Amino acid sequence: MKKVILLLTAISIAFTSCSSDDDNDTPQAVYFTISDLSLSKGTVGSEVTITGTGFPNSSDDITVSFNDVQAVITSINTTTIVSSVPANATTGEVTVKYDTKTINAGMFTILDPLVENKVENLPAPQTGGQGTGQAIGGVFTKFDFETGAVTTSETDWDIAFRGTTIAVNGGEVTGTADEPARNGNAGAAIVTGTFASATSAEGLTFNQDASTTFAIPTGSDNGWYNYNFMTNIISPIPGKVLVFRTRNGNYAKIEILSYYLNEDTSQSGRNYTFNYVYNPNDGETVLE
Amino acid sequence: MWVKKMYLSVLCVFAFVKGYTQETEIDTTKVTEIDEVILTATRTARQLSSLPLPVTLVSKKKIIQSGTIRLNEILNEQTGIITVADQSGFEGVQIQGIASDYILILIDGVPLVGRSAGNFDVSRLTVGNIKQIEVVKGPSSSLYGSEALGGVINIITSAPETEKLSGNASYRIGSFTQQDINLDIKQRIKSFRYGIFANRFSSEGYDLNPETEGQTVNPFENYTLNARIYNDFSENLSLFASARYYNQNQDAGFIVNDTRFEGDSKEEEWNAHLRFDHNWSKNLTLAYELYYTNYTAAEKLADPISDDVLTDSDFDQRLFRPEVRSTYTFKNSSKLTTGFGFQYDQLDRTFFDEQVDFSSQYAYAQYDINVINPLNVIVGARFDNHSEYSNQFSPKLALRYKITNTLAAKASIGYGFKAPDFRQLYFDFTNSAVGYTVLGYNVAIDKLRELQDQGQILDIVVPESDLEDPLEAESSVGYNIGLTYKKQNWNTEVNFFRNDFKNLIDTRIIARKTNGQNVFSYFNFDKIYTTGLETNISYEFNKNINISAGYQLLYAFDKTKEDAIDNGEVFARDPQTNETIEVSKSDYFGLVNRSRHNANFKIFYDIPSVKANINVRLLYRSKYALFDTNGNGLIDDYDTSFVDGFVTTNVAASKTFCKNFNLQIGANNLFDYTDTLIPTLPGIQFFTKINYQF
Repeated sequence: MKKVILLLTAISIAFTSCSSDDDNDTPQAVYFTISDLSLSKGTVGSEVTITGTGFPNSSDDITVSFNDVQAVITSINTTTIVSSVPANATTGEVTVKYDTKTINAGMFTILDPLVENKVENLPAPQTGGQGTGQAIGGVFTKFDFETGAVTTSETDWDIAFRGTTIAVNGGEVTGTADEPARNGNAGAAIVTGTFASATSAEGLTFNQDASTTFAIPTGSDNGWYNYNFMTNIISPIPGKVLVFRTRNGNYAKIEILSYYLNEDTSQSGRNYTFNYVYNPNDGETVLE
Repeated sequence: MWVKKMYLSVLCVFAFVKGYTQETEIDTTKVTEIDEVILTATRTARQLSSLPLPVTLVSKKKIIQSGTIRLNEILNEQTGIITVADQSGFEGVQIQGIASDYILILIDGVPLVGRSAGNFDVSRLTVGNIKQIEVVKGPSSSLYGSEALGGVINIITSAPETEKLSGNASYRIGSFTQQDINLDIKQRIKSFRYGIFANRFSSEGYDLNPETEGQTVNPFENYTLNARIYNDFSENLSLFASARYYNQNQDAGFIVNDTRFEGDSKEEEWNAHLRFDHNWSKNLTLAYELYYTNYTAAEKLADPISDDVLTDSDFDQRLFRPEVRSTYTFKNSSKLTTGFGFQYDQLDRTFFDEQVDFSSQYAYAQYDINVINPLNVIVGARFDNHSEYSNQFSPKLALRYKITNTLAAKASIGYGFKAPDFRQLYFDFTNSAVGYTVLGYNVAIDKLRELQDQGQILDIVVPESDLEDPLEAESSVGYNIGLTYKKQNWNTEVNFFRNDFKNLIDTRIIARKTNGQNVFSYFNFDKIYTTGLETNISYEFNKNINISAGYQLLYAFDKTKEDAIDNGEVFARDPQTNETIEVSKSDYFGLVNRSRHNANFKIFYDIPSVKANINVRLLYRSKYALFDTNGNGLIDDYDTSFVDGFVTTNVAASKTFCKNFNLQIGANNLFDYTDTLIPTLPGIQFFTKINYQF
């Protein structure tokens, strides 16, 4: 009998203590975990997904910050939070604060946004060649992706144009007259597809200029253009995207739209118009 | 060996004479369509309507009433046949969507040579002494060998019949000072007949682009002379001999860097044709034929002030061909036709190192039988042994089944081939302005070595082993299946066709030059097909009014290009932004120079009471593209070289007076349709012609 009483007492204590916990009004930290941050780097506006457990179903009590700059949460459920990188964010920790508890989701590097631009009527004059009976010559028109402009600098250029020939600032001189010295580590690759479909420079083989050859092969149907013998028109081959590693190891892609002034084949040639996308972040291969 | 045979043949035949006899009846007014006889399809005289093959026949009457003077004009008015200028600027005939390169042109059954970039310019031929034009569509290599893939056009000249001297003299003048003068004399003197024909044709040309210097078509004049003799040595042995001469002179000019180079281009052609027809026995006829032709073309352009020569090119092609044919008629009236021959081709031209020649031996057989009464079967094959490419075996099978007295079905399948031409094998050409080089396949390795020794070659991009096996002949398999319906005044036919080509020869880069340009050579790679249907309907209201309509639907595509599109490898540029977009199958328009729709509508009206006739012919061609403008190697909806569809209307009226005189007036291209993209189509051309028949 005594044993029975003891047991009952023990049970009642246990129940009592239970109910006393439930009734406790003092705040207590919520329990949630973070298992993954979908991106470790990205530009402002990139969508970042945080996965974990124990998230609330509403964003009211939870904040996501990128190096202390609060981000907007676009969707949330108990296991995922989607937010976008806020405007003034800088590189640092991504933190999630729910109630009073804050958890580090990981480092996030803020990247500079891709530079997308169109260069119109870049002149690429040439002397000699093409039936004149004289040797090809003339100064190349140099272009620098970092500034997005034509340059006369001996060193701060990535690609250069003369007639239908495109040189890169990497490798050796080819031996043609009046060509610029190569002092960078630029290279070129030709990718087949639409401009948008060339999303990354990852895994591409970059060729450099070398004695007697250009990284972008010259001649009709070899590189970026073909020449119609009937109409005497140089057309950029559709579906050829030129991807470059710049002299500093950045990446860019271009699509040549026209070889003629104002993109009008009845006007004078040796005037390049092209779209380009340049990734200003060192070594970053993303091109979309 | 063949020389001996040929010599023996002086003894010999008759089948062809018989053919001519029947043909001549066509000219008389009593002619009915039953008498229309075709020689080309089987090499024996066959009634047009009984043939199991798609055939077009153009009679002398239609040619004269239409007021046409050159072969291209009258062919262009036939359903499914168009004349087009390709990228090279030279004009040729297209049949069932098949380019001129693959169409054999014959005159009295023997081939003509002299093509410009593969095109045979049929405007070279006057229609002044033509009896009829026969066009057999679909492969006919089983009888004719090389080049007969798309069809055969055979021009049959008219033979003299009457004892008294007969003939005609005519003068025609038209817009652009186009003058055509004909003299045709024919006579039979007992068993001997002769025919003499002379034609002079000239024009001041025309200019569709007055703002640019030079004319679209430069002034020219040409002469055709043809003398023929026929002699019946006996009932069983007769002779046919023909000599033809053609000469054209055309002004030429070309502007390079503001310098106008001037000169002229000359063409000259000889044909000598000798044939003995021999009735060996009642059932066996033999023909012994000897044929020689020589075509030369030369163009020289120079700066008239400095005497700098821009181009100085020569072309001299010869063909020599003896052939023996026999036809044996069995008791059941089935016919076995066999033949063998030897052909020697020779070409000497600019951009060839040396004169080159081919020789080939061939034999063919064809059996034509009515297996059961309503079913006619023609089965045939030809074997060609050639010095420069692999042997060809070309079979053919054709069936015609008479379902009822008015309705018949026909079907045929045949193989056709075209031997690689001299240019594809021996060319050695370097463009002086741009610097690229084109080498014939057979000389490519040697020439490449020479260039290499000169330090002009950067790298060779194809393995040399690729250049060692001989180039294959281009070949096709053609299928035709159709129905004909003929009742009283109605004559209707419909024919579905499909031609599958393989081993088409095109250029490919074989090496890169140090000047950044390429070295090209020829390779077998393309596979194309043309398919569609053709229909013709004609109705005779009464003896005097004939209305006809024709239509051809055509799909012509490159299979390798279709595969590339399926694989997402074909791109184009958006015309607005110039940005790359992927080409989808529905964007692929097809091969250059092919129109999806071709149609014609004709009314011929005879007014016997006043000895007059009048006719109107409407020709429609839907849009087509001239060349790829966006660099992806095919014609898609984004290309900008499309020529709009158009209609040309031709009218002619003629009246006979004073018994022997006939006056004709007319207008070609009545509504003056012009397009600078169609250099071969001048604006409205009025003409008037006076003909004296004697």
